[in-house]
Amino acid sequence: MVEIRWHSRAGQGAVTGAKGLGDVVSTTGKQVQAFALYGSAKRGAAMQAYNRIDDEQIITHEKFMLPDFVLVIDPALAFTDNITMNDKASTKYIITTHLGKDELVSQLPELQDKKDRVFVLDCMQISLDTIGRAIPNTPMLGAFIKISAMFELDYFLDRMKKVLSKFPQKIIDSNMQAIIRAYNEVK
Amino acid sequence: MALKYDLQEVEVWDGNYAASHALRQAQVDVVAAYPITPSTPVVENYGQFVADGYVDGEFVMVESEHAAMSGCVGAAAAGGRVATATSSQGFALMVEVLYQASGMRLPIVLNLVNRALASPLNVRGDHSDMYLGRDAGWIMLDAFNAQEAYDMNLCAFRVGEHMDIRLPVMVNQDGFITSHTAQNVRPLSDEDAYKFVGEYVPVEEMLDFSRPVTYGAQTEEDWHFEHKARQHKALIDARPVIENVFAEFEKVSGRKYNRVESYLTNDAEVIIVALGTTVESARVAAQYLRDNEGIKAGVVAPRVIRPFPFDAIRTALENCKAIGAMDRSAPGGALGMLFNEVSAAVYTISSRPLVTNYIYGLGGRDLTMEQIKDIFRDLKKNVDAGYITTKIQQFIGLRGPKLEFFETRRS
Amino acid sequence: MSIGNVLGNDKRGRIELGAEKKVGWDEVTHGVVLHSFEDDATDVSSRKAEDRNYAQFSSYVATVASWRVIKPVYNRDICIDCQNCWIYCPDTSIISRDKQMLGIDYDHCKGCGVCVEVCPTNPKSLLMFAEAHNPEDALASWPEKKKKEEK
Repeated sequence: MVEIRWHSRAGQGAVTGAKGLGDVVSTTGKQVQAFALYGSAKRGAAMQAYNRIDDEQIITHEKFMLPDFVLVIDPALAFTDNITMNDKASTKYIITTHLGKDELVSQLPELQDKKDRVFVLDCMQISLDTIGRAIPNTPMLGAFIKISAMFELDYFLDRMKKVLSKFPQKIIDSNMQAIIRAYNEVK
Repeated sequence: MALKYDLQEVEVWDGNYAASHALRQAQVDVVAAYPITPSTPVVENYGQFVADGYVDGEFVMVESEHAAMSGCVGAAAAGGRVATATSSQGFALMVEVLYQASGMRLPIVLNLVNRALASPLNVRGDHSDMYLGRDAGWIMLDAFNAQEAYDMNLCAFRVGEHMDIRLPVMVNQDGFITSHTAQNVRPLSDEDAYKFVGEYVPVEEMLDFSRPVTYGAQTEEDWHFEHKARQHKALIDARPVIENVFAEFEKVSGRKYNRVESYLTNDAEVIIVALGTTVESARVAAQYLRDNEGIKAGVVAPRVIRPFPFDAIRTALENCKAIGAMDRSAPGGALGMLFNEVSAAVYTISSRPLVTNYIYGLGGRDLTMEQIKDIFRDLKKNVDAGYITTKIQQFIGLRGPKLEFFETRRS
Repeated sequence: MSIGNVLGNDKRGRIELGAEKKVGWDEVTHGVVLHSFEDDATDVSSRKAEDRNYAQFSSYVATVASWRVIKPVYNRDICIDCQNCWIYCPDTSIISRDKQMLGIDYDHCKGCGVCVEVCPTNPKSLLMFAEAHNPEDALASWPEKKKKEEK
């Protein structure tokens, strides 16, 4: 079972991102779970969303998890949230930031011994450039596909198009661009 | 005529969305609702389906949950297929009318998305509202995940509308843990789902002007007892009908449900009895303990909470030695409901398993796999000792000094 | 009672309220639903009450006459058919047809006296008498028109 924790602000689309990822993954025959810890929180409040992916039906419902991937889609949360909470020796981090990886890690002591498992990109800038709004969830999906190597990029893009099919073509195209750019830029 | 909805073979739906699609496929005539977290999307999506032409029905916006259920009673008495959804405080406000609906034998389907009751105010999941409604004379089904929220809704119409039953049905699902967790769901096609649910057949409908009827008559001591007794018998007699509906549902879906679900119980010494998502999590813990610690652990769950499966739960627990009854509701100065009802059932069999009560997860507090394993280990200790080694009621996952009550008297 | 009941069919007031046959739980109606009529009632609103086939649990069939201690007696000679009593009667016990007052449904009248209270004529066209009082005697002893009191 692969377990993913998203760190986000309410309104940035972590839930949509987690569900979108679930939608795509389900088309491959795998079982998915996408949920979030939120409720009466206002837009902007720190929140977490979660994915579980497995070959068998997922019947665990504990919120607690030891994540394989931690996806941080708001730049400030890397500093204010406890993003390494309950991590494992193999947990990979994908963090959105305008900083370079060295600069970011130098400012986050808890990441210093995990540097080889930290990956960065600027989801905010990518989404502003492609989608026109600060919706960092789509670029994060592109970065996740690259780092996890869970799917080939073209396969993922094709499935994602299906998931987005009810939206106008322009929105689908800009989301595809965002995913491709993130896939290429994450390091 | 409703438009056809394009469905995938496998959808990724949360429990709310799954429930709302079941309402659409059943072509519910009227939804009267006052939305409340976490059940809001059930009725919101139905309203969207109506607006988009996917269901030929009516969404009635009302001013409170009391009015929502009143609207449902009116629409059902008028002769329509009726459904709604609520949670927590909204359910509490609805309670008076719940008794009216069951007394009038109106087959309304209510999605109860389980949430804690204030005070303190809390939007997250526990079973306080479910327990509040258990004497209201409704059939109560429990879904443990999003797929089952969908399946139980379809079954609910068939059960409630059955000519031998004609009672309202609640479909429970865990707030957020099921209602807002997207998982793989395999829906039936619109045709198959509607064929399974069937055309609505009204009974004593007020819109039949050739046979005017009075609903909601007053009775005093001269008639009341007989009416309530007949209603109770209809509930108890619903047991075989529910089993038949589940069997029919298996034919169209391949998914088999039972009044009491049993997992890993064939040779189980220790069994957790629970409701909602905890049932599934406990299965994971039970399998782990079998594989790693040699503990013969199993899980039993009432799929049908009312009519309480006194018979089937007794059978399911007959051969075990210790039972942990897990209640996700503040017990209000008593042992938990599952403890009391399960104990009563197993008291009538000679094996008399050792039953303990675990209060957990109030206000959405996470129940972790480790906690469930510890409960099984507790139960195993009881089996080995031959008596209850812990206090009978324990609070799990609570900060502060251990909170626990009552001991077995062994002298 | 020679002045007595008007325009009722033979089902009206047949059973003392509460004296209906009590059946067991297995025979009570489904959902406490009560039918108003025995047969097809499609055009019932165009039929007069006495021509309707009321069902056994309709209050039409029950009588509460025994609840009455005093009763209203109606005097046709004074009545102006204003319909005040018909409007105010809480038990629909004033029988009126084509805006003409005909009399009282003594099966359902409980003797509350509201009709007398709202009657505007002088003297009143409805007056309360003891239940046992002979209506003909009552009419014979009807009071005269009251003069305005001098100041």
